Amino acid sequence: MNRRASVTVDESTARCRGYWTARYVDDIEAQFARAAWPDGRVVIDVAGIESLDTSGAWLLHRQLQALRDRGIDVTLAGADTRTRRLLELVAGSADAARDPVRPHQPGFLEDVGRQATGQLAQYRDFLHFVGRTAVAIGRLLLRPWRIRFRLIAAELQSAGWNAMPIVGLLAFLMGIVIAYQGGIVLADYGASIYVADIVGLSTVRELAPLITAIIVAGRTGSAYTAQIGTMVVTEEVDALRSIGIPPLEMLVLPKLAALVIALPLLTVFADVMGLFGGLLMANTMLGINATTFISRLSESLTVSSYLSGIGKAPVFAGIIAMVGCFQGFRVRGGAGSVGRQTTVSVVQSIFLVLIVDAAFSVAFSKLGI
Amino acid sequence: MAERATQPGDCVLEARHLVQEFGRHRVLDDISLEIRRGDVVAIVGGSGSGKSTLMRQLAMLLTPTSGSVSVFGRDVGAAANDLLLRRRIGIMFQHGALFGDLTVLENVCVPLVEHTTLDRSLIEQVAMLKIALVGLQPDAAALYPGELSGGMRKRAAVARAIALDPELLFLDEPSSGLDPVSADAMDDLVLELKAALDLTVVMVTHDMDSLWRIADRIVLLADAGIAADGSLEEVRDSDHPVARAFFHGRRGHIAGATYDG
Repeated sequence: MNRRASVTVDESTARCRGYWTARYVDDIEAQFARAAWPDGRVVIDVAGIESLDTSGAWLLHRQLQALRDRGIDVTLAGADTRTRRLLELVAGSADAARDPVRPHQPGFLEDVGRQATGQLAQYRDFLHFVGRTAVAIGRLLLRPWRIRFRLIAAELQSAGWNAMPIVGLLAFLMGIVIAYQGGIVLADYGASIYVADIVGLSTVRELAPLITAIIVAGRTGSAYTAQIGTMVVTEEVDALRSIGIPPLEMLVLPKLAALVIALPLLTVFADVMGLFGGLLMANTMLGINATTFISRLSESLTVSSYLSGIGKAPVFAGIIAMVGCFQGFRVRGGAGSVGRQTTVSVVQSIFLVLIVDAAFSVAFSKLGI
Repeated sequence: MAERATQPGDCVLEARHLVQEFGRHRVLDDISLEIRRGDVVAIVGGSGSGKSTLMRQLAMLLTPTSGSVSVFGRDVGAAANDLLLRRRIGIMFQHGALFGDLTVLENVCVPLVEHTTLDRSLIEQVAMLKIALVGLQPDAAALYPGELSGGMRKRAAVARAIALDPELLFLDEPSSGLDPVSADAMDDLVLELKAALDLTVVMVTHDMDSLWRIADRIVLLADAGIAADGSLEEVRDSDHPVARAFFHGRRGHIAGATYDG
């Protein structure tokens, strides 16, 4: 059976048939427009309507109105109580339905302006946040018994200990890749032994700290944003404040402390795993035995290059923790905002880590470290 | 009205031997009930008595541990029926569950956009109609859920629930968290919608005034089962201890005195 709503005009009677419900009325307007309406009087017979809902009633109401506006004298026939009631209902709210209200849509210039001022405000807020965190750290150091060691330990476990497998595996693979790529080139010059220098220096100075920071930013920084953001949405942050617990002290400082401790440790672990990967590759592909590799390493790797790698880690940790928490507090509204801020948090922290790493490289080379 | 295959008095929802267990804890034990078209049925009971669980089962949001639900004579659980049935059911969640990234208007449009092929402007007009119907000002349509007061949020949630003119409307705590005036207005709204749109309403509520004003039938849950089921007077006068505690406690008396005149 054809359920589609239809209207057929036969001289001065228009018969409506079918299901006048949201699913079946999609072309009824076109049918009304196509129909050959007589001048003068029309009787709209709705007795053939099998089923009517508000959408159908609204369309009917609108079409009746349109016909009347064209000067046609319209009478309704065959309407049962329910139909009449629905028509009255939609007629009563017709004014509201006429023009849907939308939020203000900014134009191009306004959009650019808003974006720019929004960015500036965000930088200002971030600095403000860093400042307040620094003050909170200062206060806490004066009252060290208020430090939440238990929370720090829990964060250490989740951000540090639990990240070890993934950090170790990726650093190991990275070591293998560097040894392999370097080994191919060096073998041509008969200088295979220097693969230890390449693996050692690149891993310890640059790649281990970077890869660890990037993994932690994706793994832990995002979790910080999502956690704090959700707490903002569910008013848990306000609840903390109302109980007299500064959210910074409860939510930010333990995370910051834990990450500043965990990231250098993870970097050391990544150093070891990366070098081990390099050693393994040098051994199997280039035939350099482990003792030679290690003795070569100890000649080329100075303490300062080792420390310059590890030394960057706490700075990266600070960036990741601060950006992650800051973006969490910027969540407004609901679930969508949590997702957006989490994305922003990861992108920003990785971006900042890479920028700061480049700055470190320049500084170290100027200082001759 | 053939698509509304049911006639007044027909059974629109039937639950047979519903059991729900969470781990070892049996929340509902062998619940059977029938809901007739045109009724306003209130599921009541103390906190933790399983009324929300029962409503989630009836509204096809929770698969019972055992037992079956059929809506409009079709068994819930058969995949072919699922979408078909959901279109004919509207649910208002306790906290609104409005989509936070969408305005009120867009929220109400969602079911219409998903399930109809109407053009956008018509959908928006119908949505505005529903928004007006639940008593929200047209300006509220442009607001985001975060900008609404509790009462407005509930109204917006009702507007979304009735977007597709459902035959069966579930309301989870429609008046909780509202001030007495708004709660009264919400009761009026339910009655108006029921009359205008020919609805069957199943609601979970704690609100004694709501029970007196709008419920045709009350299902009282206690000890994982149905302690009493019937009109308000019948349930009130039943000698089940929970019913007595419920309706003859201080709050029950106050509300009852008002409506008994």
